Amino acid sequence: MRGHGFLLANYVPGDSLVHRTPLWLKFLLVLACGMGSFLVADWAAAAAGLAVLCGVFLLSGAGVRRLFRAIRPILPVLAVIGVFQWWQLGGPAAARIVLNVLVCVVAAAILTATTQVQALLDGVAALARPYRRLGADPERFALTISIMLRSIPFIAGAYADVRDSARARGLDRNPRALVLPVFITTVAFARQTGEALAARGLGEADDGDDREG
Amino acid sequence: MSIVLDRAAVRIAVDGRAEPKTLLEPVTLTLSERRIGVIGANGSGKSTLLRMLNGLIAPSSGMVTVSGSDTVRHVRAIRRRVGFVFTDPLSQLVMPTGREDVELSLRRSVRNAGERRALAEACLERFGLLALADQSVYELSGGERQLVALAAVLAVNPDILVLDEPSTLLDLRNRELLRRTLAGLDQQIILSTHDLDLALDLERVLVVDGGRIVFDGGAAAAVAHYRRLCAAEPAGARAAELDTGLGASLP
Repeated sequence: MRGHGFLLANYVPGDSLVHRTPLWLKFLLVLACGMGSFLVADWAAAAAGLAVLCGVFLLSGAGVRRLFRAIRPILPVLAVIGVFQWWQLGGPAAARIVLNVLVCVVAAAILTATTQVQALLDGVAALARPYRRLGADPERFALTISIMLRSIPFIAGAYADVRDSARARGLDRNPRALVLPVFITTVAFARQTGEALAARGLGEADDGDDREG
Repeated sequence: MSIVLDRAAVRIAVDGRAEPKTLLEPVTLTLSERRIGVIGANGSGKSTLLRMLNGLIAPSSGMVTVSGSDTVRHVRAIRRRVGFVFTDPLSQLVMPTGREDVELSLRRSVRNAGERRALAEACLERFGLLALADQSVYELSGGERQLVALAAVLAVNPDILVLDEPSTLLDLRNRELLRRTLAGLDQQIILSTHDLDLALDLERVLVVDGGRIVFDGGAAAAVAHYRRLCAAEPAGARAAELDTGLGASLP
């Protein structure tokens, strides 16, 4: 199974200013970029924002290649969206929408490239802690997020493997030959992950240590 | 430290069949030796037997206890005491890097992030993996991944280590590395394997066939028994039997 750096860059060890920035500030940046994508109405402002974020990413020392790897998978989708919006709303609106999506992707990449997953887990668990009184388990919530991050490259790798197999059998133009095996592999992976977590005693509630009966 | 299986059996319901399918016939055993192996053909019931030891599978009848604790009633305590290593480390490693996966194992027991990090590093260093700590698990070799999976399980210091075919996906060099690593561990080890050289290192070996334990004894005698079993019933014959439905009770 191949692994892929898909959308979110893996943690890049370092001691840059961006690495040392408090987690809450990086969370805030991602949130602000998400909100900003709805509010920014000018493509030039979106472009300036993207340039600044790319600068911040490079300041972390993660490198241009890592930055490109973070945005490359979404480029085909953005191209389709861009052309459609150009046709519907004109050039400036299409540019603004595409640039705003890129702003969000790069902001998320800054967060994941400069924050260890364990620190992210601690942060997410801390964010979810107020919901404990409603019955939420912050540790489980954090674990769910981290497994989601871990599963994306697996599924991308499964797709690449299945595509190669289909190509070898001359079935690469058959969508069913691509989608169905990826779906089955993904379900099997989910089951295996669940079993592995259970075997390690992870993701279980803090209370109610054992079953009685 | 001992594991006791008292008439423990595993049966599962199958669509379209009135009778449940038997994965493991009732087994009564006491596992107290430090190094125990389970050998047998694919689908013979090895994994089912091992999964009962850590509470991943509950026996349909009978019971399994680890030092007196029932694996069903005290499942969480059992999982802390019995570490489980899977055949494919990629399905076991749930974090992007080895360091993070070992830290994940420690999250429940060590709340302080700095202390957790130091313990994870010490654990990885013990297995010579510190240099690979921040590498993506996808970029590691099969042997390195298996050692990282092992380190993540051993980080919480279980009393017993159960490994389900840990060397199946490894090349010869990595198999030797794993063999040496396992030999140096203090834990009681119970593993299933197709690697008969690895089985010969063990104190006691069980041979499983068709959901039954057909031999239980010293490693050399067990391996000889298994070889005779395979010679008497070639794989093709077993496949034909399964196709005709005669082997329907087999897993």
